[in-house]
Amino acid sequence: MSVWGALAGGFLGTLVLTTALSAGSQLGLTRMDVPFLLGTACTDDRARARVYGYALHFLAGLAFALVYYAAFVVLGRAGWALGLAFGLAHALFSGTTLVNVLLPAVHPRMGTPSSAADSSPLLEAPGFMLLNYGRATPVLTMLAHMAYGAIVGAFVAGSAR
Amino acid sequence: MRHRTIEDRYPPLRDYALIGDGRTAALVSRDGSVDWWCLPNLDSPSIFGAVLDADRGGRFVLHPEGVVEARRRYLPDTNVLETTFTTATGRVRVTDAMTLPGLGLAPFRELARRVEGLDGRVAIRWRIEPRFGYGLAPTRIEPRTPFPVASSGGTAIAACTWQAGRVDCDRAGIAGGFEARAGTRATLAVSAAHGEPLVLPARADVEQRIDATAEFWRSWSTRLSYTGPWRDAVVRSALALKLLVFAPSGAIAAAPTTSLPELIGGERNWDYRFSWIRDASFMLESLLQLGCQAEAKAFFWWFMHATQRTLPRVNVFYRLDGGTHAPERTLPLAGYRESRPVRVGNGAADQLQLDTYGELVDAVYQYVQKGHPLGRDTGRDIARIADFVCVHWREPDSGIWEVRSEPRHHTHSKAMCWVALDRAVRLARAGRVPPGHAARWASEAAAIRRFVDERCWSDAKGSHVWYAGGEHLDASLLLLAIMRYDPPDSPRLRATVDAVRRELAAGPLLQRYTGDDGLAGGEGAFACCSFWLVEALAILGRRPDAERLMSDLVALANDVGLYAEEVEPTTGAFLGNFPQGLVHLALISAAIAMHGAAG
Repeated sequence: MSVWGALAGGFLGTLVLTTALSAGSQLGLTRMDVPFLLGTACTDDRARARVYGYALHFLAGLAFALVYYAAFVVLGRAGWALGLAFGLAHALFSGTTLVNVLLPAVHPRMGTPSSAADSSPLLEAPGFMLLNYGRATPVLTMLAHMAYGAIVGAFVAGSAR
Repeated sequence: MRHRTIEDRYPPLRDYALIGDGRTAALVSRDGSVDWWCLPNLDSPSIFGAVLDADRGGRFVLHPEGVVEARRRYLPDTNVLETTFTTATGRVRVTDAMTLPGLGLAPFRELARRVEGLDGRVAIRWRIEPRFGYGLAPTRIEPRTPFPVASSGGTAIAACTWQAGRVDCDRAGIAGGFEARAGTRATLAVSAAHGEPLVLPARADVEQRIDATAEFWRSWSTRLSYTGPWRDAVVRSALALKLLVFAPSGAIAAAPTTSLPELIGGERNWDYRFSWIRDASFMLESLLQLGCQAEAKAFFWWFMHATQRTLPRVNVFYRLDGGTHAPERTLPLAGYRESRPVRVGNGAADQLQLDTYGELVDAVYQYVQKGHPLGRDTGRDIARIADFVCVHWREPDSGIWEVRSEPRHHTHSKAMCWVALDRAVRLARAGRVPPGHAARWASEAAAIRRFVDERCWSDAKGSHVWYAGGEHLDASLLLLAIMRYDPPDSPRLRATVDAVRRELAAGPLLQRYTGDDGLAGGEGAFACCSFWLVEALAILGRRPDAERLMSDLVALANDVGLYAEEVEPTTGAFLGNFPQGLVHLALISAAIAMHGAAG
């Protein structure tokens, strides 16, 4: 197991995750757009938001890969199946807490249940399990994160040899 | 809100106005209903499609109660619509705009409606009935906070309202009502998203965007350089055309609608949300003459890029994104006043229409004549097209009218093949196109001219005819004058223009043709042909005649200056897709020709 394996897996995993969600969007299955959500936290310019958003998403992908790596080290083993399980847990955390609760709390352009008359949220909040962005969103998000986890797990395990 | 008679359920096409943002456009009826809106783009499936099916299509109704008069206009030199409703109890003004995003985080698409009370009190009812996917996709409506949301697949809208009364949601729509009093203002905006989360705008931002959108259009209009006669009609036509420009690619749609019928109850219902290469020549000349250099350049590059996929063969039309796949299918919708089928896609894509080559090469020639550079690759492409024309001009084709009968040797198609080769030779002489095959192009051009002279002329009619060996006339023969196939003093050209007018005129209007076209039923008069006649008369030096006709035709526009594809000669009713770009192009071209003739 090596950190470099985790980072390489994190990069490729994020690439796959982003591509899967983007394909889901193009196919009309979801309106989930992670780069747009992340980027609009930094700027209200649509084009720039997507550029920033992609950069932030890849940084987040690398950061989560390091978290996965730490977990693999603690458990003393790594592999694609364990990574897949991490990915599922990651997706559930994202859908219920990270994107549903924490992102709106820190996103300057997204409303929360506590938004009052003195605020004017611009962005549609994702809702529980991101269901506001389409009924297929939870399934797609889970599958994409499981693929991410499996790739990170495989890379970390592979880097051990 | 349902009416009984079919005429009441489907307003006359004359009663519509168009608003748009360069990506999509909506038809707003005189009674305040948005009956056509495609999301996210002009050629996407509709979310409001009541114009094609009053029951299933969906609409956004904003209706003052007890209207006794509705007067409307575009705000001067803009594409922002203003309708003033007078009722027994007061007056109210509704401003409709498809807003431009401007700075800041704006909705992906936004249709905004501002309601201002002017006098007294007026009860207003509004209802949004979104029906995604031409009314065929499942629609989910949720009463969310702060605004209700309707969604289907990757597309969603939020109904954002302020001072517009309590909002109620049911499975079929989102509705409300309020009373507009003098001095009050309500704002309603449909924020749309496609493949991304919805942007839920603040009221001040919507209001600012409405005003900024009007200002953009005013600013755009002031850049139009035309100073000749009928300037108001020319500016309105340019504004209408600008709504048909698909900004993401530079393509120009023939019309923003599909399947508005050429005959009520008939089968001549086509999808015009594509960019026809045929229109290229008219479009470029008009844009260049009007001073729209940016739009001309974008369109030029779009069609040279789009045709790359198929060169040297050129498709009749391309999708707005430059694609070529546009299979024709019918939708299970009632159709405008029960005119079926409702088609999306267009089967004419597979036809051979030889005139397209002439119009394409002429457009390139005009572009170069105005001093624009032509790359070496484009020059080689033009040479390949000219070679293709040399090989194929002898084949029968479906012609400019895209008839669905057997292919014929259409006179106009042959003449446009001559135009393609003539312009290619000129470009070669100017060093813009590789000259290696220029002698062959000139030789084949001469052969085409012999064919037209010998086979496409009728001694009995004293005129060129629609197709070789026939005795019918068609209005595309006027383009022999406009495209300078023959010089203005040519006896045959003058005789043909006279014959076309004599045989096809219906008042100031012209029918397209007489004779069979492979389809059942008739149609109205083709509005663009009438403007072609004006231009042809101006070119032949018959200016007073042309002026009278132009005045008559300008008077046939609807109250906001728009034209449908066709006009029913006896009633003046509009028929066919609306508004049609080619008509507005022909109007501009005719006005420019008259101005040139005067100069």
